Amino acid sequence: MNRENRLALAESASLRHEAFGALVYSYPDRRLLFIDHQLLPFLASTGGRTIGEIADDLLSRGVMSETGFARTLLLLDGLHQKGIVNVL
Amino acid sequence: MYYDRLRRGLSAPICLTWEMTYACNLRCIHCLSSSGKRAAGELTTEEAKHLLDDWAHMQVFYINVGGGEPMTRRDFFELMEYSIDRGIGVKFSTNGTLIDTAAADWIASTDYLDVQISLDGASPGVNDAIRGVGSYGRARHAMELLSERGVPFKINTVLTRRCFEQLDALYDMARGYRAELRVTRLRPSGRGMQVWSALRLTQAQNRSVYDWLQEHPDVLTGDSFFHLSALGKPLDGMNMCGAGRIVCCVDPVGDVYACPFVLVPEFKAGNVRELSFAEIWHDSKLFRRLRQWEVGGSCTECPAYSKCHGGCMAAKFFTGIALDDPDPECVFKPEVVTTDTIIPLTLTPRPIAAAVSH
Repeated sequence: MNRENRLALAESASLRHEAFGALVYSYPDRRLLFIDHQLLPFLASTGGRTIGEIADDLLSRGVMSETGFARTLLLLDGLHQKGIVNVL
Repeated sequence: MYYDRLRRGLSAPICLTWEMTYACNLRCIHCLSSSGKRAAGELTTEEAKHLLDDWAHMQVFYINVGGGEPMTRRDFFELMEYSIDRGIGVKFSTNGTLIDTAAADWIASTDYLDVQISLDGASPGVNDAIRGVGSYGRARHAMELLSERGVPFKINTVLTRRCFEQLDALYDMARGYRAELRVTRLRPSGRGMQVWSALRLTQAQNRSVYDWLQEHPDVLTGDSFFHLSALGKPLDGMNMCGAGRIVCCVDPVGDVYACPFVLVPEFKAGNVRELSFAEIWHDSKLFRRLRQWEVGGSCTECPAYSKCHGGCMAAKFFTGIALDDPDPECVFKPEVVTTDTIIPLTLTPRPIAAAVSH
């Protein structure tokens, strides 16, 4: 996973917003995941912006730190491995 | 982690049980919904579809369908397909007696549909004493049909004093079918109240079950043994009472309850013929109160509170315990019977009835 990737939620997954962030359900393997707020801008993307463009926006507004972005990349990679997000 | 996120409730339930009928061709002596006879005024097919539409709009991910025996409804297949078409996965619980070749073919061909077959013992002698003569054979036949078609299914066992010694045998049976085993706690709900004293696990057995579950992390529990998490490392799951927070139950006539184990007026939040499900879920007085409530009393002084959060509300209610008191099977309560006590069952299940028509 890197800054140049464009992501979109897999068609086989459903994301529902909650107070703590969101719940994501993967229909093929019946997996339920808890998603923190920090990941939502990336999961809400439909591929219109790269990960880097979304991150730069969040960093410039002080919503996310560089350390936070590094962790986010790892989490996004994990979601990709689970088939929750696709790299376009 | 889960508790803090979930105790205030979610925008939609994640464990939504739909008891679509109380009609059943079995008369299991511990039935939590006291099923057998079809309730007057069951939701019609159109009303049921409207309810599914509401759930789809709320982004309910999946529903747990049960009863009674849900396959006794003539519109069962139609409604399950409607649910899946609307993006709601289906996990249905059945006694298996109505799974014939055609039904097995349909299950095998339907995506996002999970089936769970009830079996309360690894032998006819143990199972049929609870579920009815012949029920073991019929359930196993259903499993054979599904297994032949490569359908992954679950075997669901209500864990009682009578099948406790058969845990390993049940586990091996599931593995033999490449199925999953799911064990659930006997609650004193419905007909379960009459047999709870005779069938519930002893404290020694509860401790053994905890150890066994830790050794078998692939066995599912539906979060029903979270009261045992107080014994040490928490069991997998939410480890909390989810009633009205992440769980609810809709009965055959559209009454909405806090959970499937408290189908009583005190825990009824509304009816979908009077209000939309969304209004009931978000705004009912009962659910609002449950989302503000935590077990208090002596439980808050217990070092294990963060692991079990005071146990099961249904178990307390039906045993006459205050909701702020510890679970009636709190692991720190003394043993009251010896491990080898087998109390004769005073209730016997009736033979399997013919499939009940709509």
